[in-house]
Amino acid sequence: MSFDTRQIDDLVSLERGEVDRRIYTDPAIFELEMERIFARSWLFLCHESQIAEPGDFFQAVMGRDNVLVVRQKDGSIKAMLNTCAHRGNAVCRAEEGNAKSFLCTYHGWSYGIDGRLNGVPGHNTFYKGNLDKSRHGLAPVAQVANYRGFIFGTHDAAAPPLEEFLGATGRLGLDTIALRGDMEVVPGIQKFVIECNWKIAVDNLFDWYHPQITHASAFQPSVLPSTNRLENAPVEKIDLSGVNMQSGAGLDLPGNGIIGTKFDQVVVLGEYGHAIGGPTTSSTGYFEFDPSWRENPRTKTALGPVGCKVGGHPNIFPTTWATVTQPQISLRIPRDPTHTEIWWFTFVDRNMPREMRDFMVTMACRIFGPAGVLEQDDGENWAQATAQTRGIASRRIKHLLNMGIGRGKIIKEGGLARIESLTSEYGQLWTYYSWAQWMKGLSWEELKQATTPGDCI
Amino acid sequence: MSNHSQMISRDERIAAMLLHYEVERFYYDEAALLDAHRYDEWLALFTDDAHYFMPIRRTRTQREMDKEFTKPGEMAFFNDDKILLAGRVAKLKTGRSWAEDPPSRTRHLITNVRIVKDDGRTLEVESNFHVYRTRLNSEETSWIGLRRDLLRRTDGSFQIADRKIYLEQTVLLSRNLSNFF
Repeated sequence: MSFDTRQIDDLVSLERGEVDRRIYTDPAIFELEMERIFARSWLFLCHESQIAEPGDFFQAVMGRDNVLVVRQKDGSIKAMLNTCAHRGNAVCRAEEGNAKSFLCTYHGWSYGIDGRLNGVPGHNTFYKGNLDKSRHGLAPVAQVANYRGFIFGTHDAAAPPLEEFLGATGRLGLDTIALRGDMEVVPGIQKFVIECNWKIAVDNLFDWYHPQITHASAFQPSVLPSTNRLENAPVEKIDLSGVNMQSGAGLDLPGNGIIGTKFDQVVVLGEYGHAIGGPTTSSTGYFEFDPSWRENPRTKTALGPVGCKVGGHPNIFPTTWATVTQPQISLRIPRDPTHTEIWWFTFVDRNMPREMRDFMVTMACRIFGPAGVLEQDDGENWAQATAQTRGIASRRIKHLLNMGIGRGKIIKEGGLARIESLTSEYGQLWTYYSWAQWMKGLSWEELKQATTPGDCI
Repeated sequence: MSNHSQMISRDERIAAMLLHYEVERFYYDEAALLDAHRYDEWLALFTDDAHYFMPIRRTRTQREMDKEFTKPGEMAFFNDDKILLAGRVAKLKTGRSWAEDPPSRTRHLITNVRIVKDDGRTLEVESNFHVYRTRLNSEETSWIGLRRDLLRRTDGSFQIADRKIYLEQTVLLSRNLSNFF
């Protein structure tokens, strides 16, 4: 299938809130995403706590490149491509661990943990010493940077510095984890595969319209622990008239879920496509196991007046979701147009009492991940939404993201652009709109301009 | 035959066979309950203090095999007490548990049962499983692995006090784990 890149503007309409369904299955579009998004953007690799000791490594994914993120003897962190400079074989086949060196098991080229080529079998005999080892180390990732413990990399040497790329929106997103304490990743990254397009998985994180239906079976006391906030909150059910099950029976919903019309939301829109969307911290829909970190005066100052209000889900464009219920990062890694790997990183504060730590770990296993009482019902929606876009007639129908369209007044304050409203689809729509700008192959300066929020959505 | 098995008496061997038979029968009945979606009865097979744990497995080098699986206190796929297992069963029965409606079709095959330890009150038992699932029209999942159970003797039968499930996968090759093992 070929794809004319001049048609990109036709794929996403910010005015109508519509997306062309071809973007979920077209292999040519996927190839272009690899080139114009995943080979350029800063991408989350891992957290520094995962590789604490010299030689500790974690294997990350950037586009389709496998990357070794390695703690160095001097405490610094390097990231390099996991491919031998000789004939391409992977020099490390473990997901994580500790290494003294990386050996290519094909011909025995051996690299230091800094990526330097140290040993070549027969260097004198076969190469007669003519191979310049200094030129054939493991290729470093073009740029690597650390924002408050989160390690990011980009394949583009011309990409702006990480903090500038993140901007106020992206930094606030990561701060909602970093500011909770001395954060570390709990051992065990949950990894699983969903047969869906990566963008369907990403847009769902801003979607506060679905929990009450998709997750209806989870919102009962025996499954999810209630928070005091929810028990005391006045629950005002949304209008379900005419909403019937396949049997014809009306759909009844449990009373203590994320539900109600008094569900104040705030959506923050950022340059390069970052966004945060969901309930305000004072709304009945706001759900967090341990919100005490927000009370710290220093945290309040660091978050700023707008940041204090934001209780929704941040996404660092393109694929890094930071959760709110408790601090986790969910990466949505595109494998092909219809397969996405989900990786969950779970954070705790090192200084947390043991009991609280155990609670947070238990809740992380319980809520998200493939067996999570919330996430186990998500995959089927995403897989089916992706599968239906294969049909020629079904594909002609637009994906609708027009909830609240035309009414989203953008308020600019404290370096952040936000929309205050009820449940909406502004966060998703902003992500798709920004995706289209990335897909045009603009310069970094043009891209920043094109993704600077205007006055209204 | 090893010297060891020649030395134990015929009566002891018959007792071991009977015990093995009882454990196997317990597992076959359990599998039948799961495949028939009779989850309340399945839940009753667990003690009130039961722990149900499926660790995350990681591809690591041979010298780091001690860190292949995560341990309790670390992240896992399942880390449930009986209350949560009961919650999962309640969730399945709401009629709104969409990942299981239409229900998946499963078949639990339990083999290679080995009684590893028996202190008279509690048995430590290992078994291999193959859980085969099909879903909707063409979706097929196979999970193969090892279960390591602590079975507590009750009146004439057993209850599961602890179950650890070790899958032969690192990246889980399915979209969810909406079934039991």
